[in-house]
Amino acid sequence: MKNVRDAALFAAVLTALAAGAMLLAGANPIAGFAALARGALGGERQVSETLVQTSALLFPSLAVAFAFRAGLFNIGAEGQLIVGGLFAGLAGAAFVAPGWIAIPIVLAAGAIGGGLWGGVAGVLRARFGGNEVIATLMLNVLAVLLANYLIVGPLHSPNVAGPETAELPSSSWLPALLPHTRLTIAFAFALALAGLLRYVFARTVFGFELRAAGEAPQAAARAGIDLRRTALVAMTVSGAIAGFGGATLVPGVLHRFNVELSPGYGFIAIAVALVGGLDPLWIVLAAFAFGILQSGSLTMQALAHVPKDVVSVVEGLAILGLSARRFATRAPDVA
Amino acid sequence: MPDLIGFLELTLVKAAPLIFAALAGVVCERSGILNIALEGALAAGAFAAVAASYETGNPYLGAVAGILAGVLVCGTLGVAATRFRVDQIVAGTGLNVLAIGGAAFGIVVMSGTPGVTPEVHAFGARGEAVLVFVALCSAFVLQFALDRTPWGLRVRACGENPQAAISAGLDPRRIRVVATLIAGVLAGLGGIFLSLGELDLYSDGMTAGRGFIALAAVIFGRWTPLGACAAAIAFGALSALQFVLQRAGVPSELMQALPYVVALAALTGIFGKSRAPAADGVPL
Repeated sequence: MKNVRDAALFAAVLTALAAGAMLLAGANPIAGFAALARGALGGERQVSETLVQTSALLFPSLAVAFAFRAGLFNIGAEGQLIVGGLFAGLAGAAFVAPGWIAIPIVLAAGAIGGGLWGGVAGVLRARFGGNEVIATLMLNVLAVLLANYLIVGPLHSPNVAGPETAELPSSSWLPALLPHTRLTIAFAFALALAGLLRYVFARTVFGFELRAAGEAPQAAARAGIDLRRTALVAMTVSGAIAGFGGATLVPGVLHRFNVELSPGYGFIAIAVALVGGLDPLWIVLAAFAFGILQSGSLTMQALAHVPKDVVSVVEGLAILGLSARRFATRAPDVA
Repeated sequence: MPDLIGFLELTLVKAAPLIFAALAGVVCERSGILNIALEGALAAGAFAAVAASYETGNPYLGAVAGILAGVLVCGTLGVAATRFRVDQIVAGTGLNVLAIGGAAFGIVVMSGTPGVTPEVHAFGARGEAVLVFVALCSAFVLQFALDRTPWGLRVRACGENPQAAISAGLDPRRIRVVATLIAGVLAGLGGIFLSLGELDLYSDGMTAGRGFIALAAVIFGRWTPLGACAAAIAFGALSALQFVLQRAGVPSELMQALPYVVALAALTGIFGKSRAPAADGVPL
């Protein structure tokens, strides 16, 4: 009960601050919130776009939660998502095959890309005791540079002008859940993944080992859990989840890869994971709430003249406010 | 020869904001606070300086506002990390999102259009040179202060073993907050250099990951002010070299990637064992 009260108070404070920011921008807060709601939930098209944003946020949020459960801070979901999208875009542009062959290959390429990117941080952590926060911060920047380099440089597609890959053949696009919207089966994948992770955390030996490594690393080590292996696996799987999420955006939303793939989903995901208390089911709800903010913000800007960056301000405040909660014991440095 | 001098100048110009930010990172980490909000502090400092100069027409008042903004971001982290015992990484991430989003919001409030502020009164070439000089001096002053003064000893004690510091009658929380305030001044100066030194405006994405390169410089410089300053100058030289090598056909992304690759390599310890302060990032 106390948690519900705290959450309500927290939401009220954030709403008040957002209203203050709207006043500062010379806009009417009531009109601002109304436009936000209309843009996010005002009709079938708006709701489906909100669910597109929800799915895009859900993958990296689950990735962050996965690593966090193991006591590791994956601040690199953004980079893993971009590398996942890059791999997916390159694979998708190269393969012309029926969808039931091409789509799994495209998505798997993304998961592999993201897994590699997360795995680098995992190896640094497990083998050398390097701080995974610093490593993933560096890998985020490197992901963008790698993508820019490859798609403009050696893997540049001759028929494309801008910094992006060629368009995927329409046979490789993800099937839509609702006709004439961008809502695809990626949404179903995201929900399924949340359910799967909930099961893994709660019911499997592997999930127990992850949580033990995160919550009581010393005790876990004495009980025979290999903390290095857990760290490596946790970062790699976390990266693969984020990479898979980035990959779904390529055949699902953009139909190509470009570096505008993510407006910072990997960073917002940290807020989503924390709001959801690292529990996959609550994270689904949190991702929907943040999805509303993402998809409604442009309408808010157009109709109520509230700069869409108000959303970033609210998200930043939410992360800051949530930093006071204890989620896991940070694993001690191995080296 | 003029080429060489031009290259050195460009190196220092590219290095100065990194030096400020890296020194801010060093003083925080030596006191036990892992400050990943440097990127946000740079952005806040850069934007606030432009906004104040825009309102008053006076770049010096702009500089004051820039420093205050840096202090506000880093100080918030310091107070949150000590009084409220928050997770420093989560709080730092939140401050980054907040500061960068807030600056983007501020641009719209200021000028009615997103992306970039109007041009304002700035410091020009001479002010830029002064700030470079201030950056280099700060490195020496901070090195001396950390190594040779009672204050420095206290800061290092808080970063290595806060329990022992408490036993010795120190208040590590206060010392950590003071360290973040000093870091805020430095990061604010770095932001001012970007917006009012090198240019005369603020635009979205202007900080371009410099707060993160600074963290790399801290590691590569083995958590010492002079080491971090040297690393920042080396990274500055890489970006200056970029302009030369790009003409020779070397992709610019490769040069931009080098500091980050070097930082990742440094995490493996191949450049010799270097160790973060024992209580770096550990809540008290």
